[in-house]
Amino acid sequence: MPSMLTYISRRLLFSIPVILVASFLLFWMVRSTFDPCVKMRASKDVEAVTRCETRLHLDDPIPTQYLGWASDAAHGDLGESSRTNEEVSAMVPRALWYTVQLIFWGVLISAFAAVALGVYSALKQYSVLDYTFTGASFVGLAMPPFWFGLMAIELLAIMPKQWLGLDEPLFYFVGLHSGAEKGFGADYARHLVLPVMTLTVQIIASWSRFQRSSMLDVMSADYVRTARAKGVPRRDVVVHHALRNALVPLVTVMALDIGALFGGLIITETIFSIPGMGQLFVRSLQAGDAEVLVVWTVVTAGFIVVFNLLADVLYGLMDPRVRVT
Amino acid sequence: MSDAVVSAEPMLEVSGLTVDFLTDDGLLHAVDHVTFGIARGETVGIVGESGSGKSVMSMAIMGLLPKSARVTGSVKFRGQELLGASERDLQRIRGSEIAMVFQDALASLNPVHTVGAQVAEAVAIHQELKGSELRNAAIALLDVVGIANPSARFEQYPHEFSGGMRQRAMIAMAIANDPAVLIADEPTTALDVTIQAQVLEVLERIQQRTSTSIMLITHDLGVVAGVADSVMVMYAGSQVERGSVEEIFYESRHPYTKGLLASLPRMDRRVDKSDRLHQIEGQPPSLVFLPTGCAFHPRCPFAETPGACDGEVPALQVVGDGHYSACHFPDRIGSDEGMKS
Amino acid sequence: MSGETPDHRSLVDSPPGSAGPSGLIGSELVPSASHAFDTAAHASPVARSQWALFRRRFLRHKMALVSLGVLAFLFIVCFGANLVAPYSNTEQDLLLGPVGPRMSHWFGTDELGRDQLSRLLYAGRISLKIGIAVALISTVFGTAIGAIAAYFGKATDQTLMRLTDLFLVVPAIAILAIALERFGSGDTTIILVLAGLFWMYVARIVRGEVLGIKEKEFIEAARASGASSTRVIVRHIVPNIFGPIMVNATLGVALAIVAESTLSYLGFGVEPPQTSWGNMLSQASGYVGTDRAYLIYAPGFAILITVLAVNFLGDGLRDAFDPHTDRHQ
Repeated sequence: MPSMLTYISRRLLFSIPVILVASFLLFWMVRSTFDPCVKMRASKDVEAVTRCETRLHLDDPIPTQYLGWASDAAHGDLGESSRTNEEVSAMVPRALWYTVQLIFWGVLISAFAAVALGVYSALKQYSVLDYTFTGASFVGLAMPPFWFGLMAIELLAIMPKQWLGLDEPLFYFVGLHSGAEKGFGADYARHLVLPVMTLTVQIIASWSRFQRSSMLDVMSADYVRTARAKGVPRRDVVVHHALRNALVPLVTVMALDIGALFGGLIITETIFSIPGMGQLFVRSLQAGDAEVLVVWTVVTAGFIVVFNLLADVLYGLMDPRVRVT
Repeated sequence: MSDAVVSAEPMLEVSGLTVDFLTDDGLLHAVDHVTFGIARGETVGIVGESGSGKSVMSMAIMGLLPKSARVTGSVKFRGQELLGASERDLQRIRGSEIAMVFQDALASLNPVHTVGAQVAEAVAIHQELKGSELRNAAIALLDVVGIANPSARFEQYPHEFSGGMRQRAMIAMAIANDPAVLIADEPTTALDVTIQAQVLEVLERIQQRTSTSIMLITHDLGVVAGVADSVMVMYAGSQVERGSVEEIFYESRHPYTKGLLASLPRMDRRVDKSDRLHQIEGQPPSLVFLPTGCAFHPRCPFAETPGACDGEVPALQVVGDGHYSACHFPDRIGSDEGMKS
Repeated sequence: MSGETPDHRSLVDSPPGSAGPSGLIGSELVPSASHAFDTAAHASPVARSQWALFRRRFLRHKMALVSLGVLAFLFIVCFGANLVAPYSNTEQDLLLGPVGPRMSHWFGTDELGRDQLSRLLYAGRISLKIGIAVALISTVFGTAIGAIAAYFGKATDQTLMRLTDLFLVVPAIAILAIALERFGSGDTTIILVLAGLFWMYVARIVRGEVLGIKEKEFIEAARASGASSTRVIVRHIVPNIFGPIMVNATLGVALAIVAESTLSYLGFGVEPPQTSWGNMLSQASGYVGTDRAYLIYAPGFAILITVLAVNFLGDGLRDAFDPHTDRHQ
C-alpha cells in the first residue's frame, strides 16, 4: 500500500518542525531560568565556573547555543549532561529501558482488566457489580496518584511485614531489582507489583469506563439486534458482533495514551526510585541540564507522534469503513 | 400472494399482545391488546404512523425487547407459545423459523464483517455447513435476491453496497433457512421508488418459492395495496381496523384508515390545483398520556364530543366478513369519498 | 497535569487530536429500549421550561445531591475553621509531640504537636481556593479564546489553535517548574500557572461547541439585526453553550486540587507558612513506614472526598444539561 506509506512519512515529516520548536522553547526557558553551573559557583572555585561556562558556551546567546547543539546532533553527537558529565546518548536509552518495562507491564495488565471490567459492566448494566466497578473507577480517578502509591507501600508492603513478622516485605518499593539481582525472576516480580499497581489505577479506571460506554453503545446498535434476530447465541453476539466493534475506539485511545506515557511516569518513578524517563526529566530540570532536556523532549514528543500515527493506522485496519488517505 | 395459498393453518397467532415500558413520566403503552393471525403463505400488512407500535410489536414477537419491557398476552408459532419461552428455544426459532428484515440496512449490517460472512453466519447457525459448502450456500442466497456477481460481492463490506443492494443482502440473510414467517419492518422505506418495487418483487418471488408467511410492516398503505392479502391498521399502539386488502381499501369502516387512504396519491384521480393531497390534522398522541376514550378522537372529523368518542374506548367489532373496526360509529364511515374534506 | 498519565487531563478534554476517554466517566447511555421505539414516543407530553427540566433532572441525580451537600459542608468547616477547629492553625505542643489519633486529637498530631484536624481545615481553604480560582480563570480565558477562534474563523482560528497546540506539546511540568522557579511558589503563582495549563482544554471544547451553533438561525438573526460581535458572543452564543462550560468548570476544580497536591509532592507546591492538603501530604510522605504513617491518611481522604464530590456534581450537571439523558433512570 504505497498510499499508506506516503501518508505515514508525510505525517512524520510534518511533526518534525513542531517537535524542534518545542525543544527549542524548552531549551530557552531552562537555560534562562536555571544555572547549570550552580554547583561550581557554590564551591567558589572560579576556574571551575569558567570551565563550566566555556564548555556550555554560556556566553553565546541562547539561539546560538541551541544551533550549536543542533549541528552537533546532526553529526551524531548528542552532547553530554552538565549534571553528570555523561553522554546524553547513553543516559536517555538507559532511562527509556526502565520506563518501557513499566509501560509494558502496566499496559498489558490495564488492557486486560479494562476490557474485562468494561464488558462485564455493560452486559450487566445497573447490577451490583456494575455499580461497584463504577464506584471504584470514580475513586481511582479521584485519588492523587502519589497518595495511592504511598498507601500501597504502607498497607501492602510495610504493615503486612510487621504483622507477619517477616524479614523482607512481600513487595519491594525501591527500584526494579534488589542488589545484585538481575533478570525477570521472582525478585523482579516482587519489585514490579507496587509501581505497576500505582501506574495502572488511573489507566484501568479510565479505560474500563470508556470500554463500558463503548460496549453499551454497540449493544444497542441495529446490527447487534440483527445478529440476535438471526438466532446467533448470546456469547457470539457479544464477542463476534459487539466486542469486535467496541474495541475499535478503545484501541485508538490506548495507542494515544501509551504514547503519552513515555515521558510521563514521573510520580511512579519518583515514589519507587526507578531511574526512568520521568525521573531523568525532573532531575535534569532541577539541575538546569538543558542538553538532556532537549533530547528528552524530542524523544518523548517523537513517541507521542508515532503512537498518534499508530492510532490512526490501527483504526484504519480495524474499521473497514475508514481508509487512511 | 393469491388467496388460494392462504390455508387455514395458522402459522403465527397473536392474541391480546400488550407491551408496556416504565418511563419517568409513567407507564408507556407501546402495544395494547393486539390480536391477529397469519396463515401459511399469507401476507399481512401492518400499517400505521411512526409511534403506532408496529415495530415494538414485531420485536415482542421475536422476543428481542429489552428486559425493561413488560410483555403480556400470547404469541403462538405453530401452536407453540413464544412469550416466556427459554432463550435457547427462541434462538433456535429466530432466523430459522421466524426471520426478520429491518428498515435501515446500513445500520443493521455489521460494519466490520463482510456481507458474505454475515450471510454465511445466518446459514451456519442453523445448518451443518462448513467451508466451501457454506460459502457456496451464501453466494447462492445472494444470487437468489438478485445481487449481480455474487461471488465478488461476497467479499465486500456493507458500506461498499448501494442502499438497494444492502436491503437485498438483509433479505438474503433472512431467507437463509427458508423461514416459515418473515417479518419485514419497513423494508423499503429508505429506498427510491424503483428500488422499492424491486425489493418488494424479491419478497414476492421468495414467497412463491417457499410459501413463507410475510408480515409486512409499513407506514405506506400504497406498499401494502400491491402485495398484502390482509391488512391491520394500528394507531397509538392499538389495532383500529383489520380486514382483507379489498375491504380495507374499498369498504374501510374506520376514520383513521379513511384518512390514510385519502392521503395517498392516486393514479386514477385527476389532480387539479384545488385538490391537494389530504392530510390528517393534528399529531399522534403521546403513548404515556393517551386521550380518554378513543385515542383517535382529537383528530377525528366524525368524533362526537362530549359523548362516546371521548368517554369510552371503542372495542373491536365485526363490521363485515373477517372485517373488524374499533370505531363507535363504523356505519357513518360509508362511501369511498366520505373523508374528502 | 502532574504529567503522570494522560488520563486526568482527559477529564477536562482529550489529549490533542484524540478521542480520549474524556467525558465518558459516568455518562450513562439511554436505556437500550430506546431503539425499539418509534420516535414519536419520545415526544414530551408536557412542555416544561428549560430551567424546570434542568432542575428536575438534577434533583433525580442522587449522588450529585449528596455531593452538593458534602461540598457545602466542606466549605463551611474550612472557611469557618476559626470557629469550628478545635485548635488554632499554628498552635504547637512540643511536649506532646507526634501522637496518633485519639479523642483529644481525632487525626493525631505531627512532630510539632500540631493538631492535624485543625491543620486540615485551614489547609482546605488553600486547596479549595486554588481549585475554584483555577477553574474560574481557565474557564473564562479558555471560553474567550475558543469562542473568538470559532466565531471569527480563518486566520484568527488558525493562529489561536496553533498556539493552543504548542502549549499542549511542551511538557506541562516543565512550564510549571520554570514558572515557579521564577515567580516563587505562592498560591497566586500556582493558581495562575495551573490556569495557564488548563485553558487549552476549555478552549478546544468551547471552539467545538461554538462551531456547532454559530450557523444556527438565532445567531444569524442576531447578527443580521446589527448586534456587535462581542454582543453576539456574550449574549447569544455563550449562554447557549453554558452547559458544557459548567460541566468542564467543575471538573477543572477537581483537576486543580489533584494537580496542586501532586506539585507539592514533587516539591513545586505552595510553601510554608501556607499549607494546602497536598502540602500536608507531601510532608507526611516522608513518614511512610514509620510509626507516624497515620499522617498520610487524613489529607489524602480530604482530597479524595472533595474530588469525588466535585466529579459527581459535574456528572449530575452533565445529565441535567444534556437532553439525551432524559430517560436515564
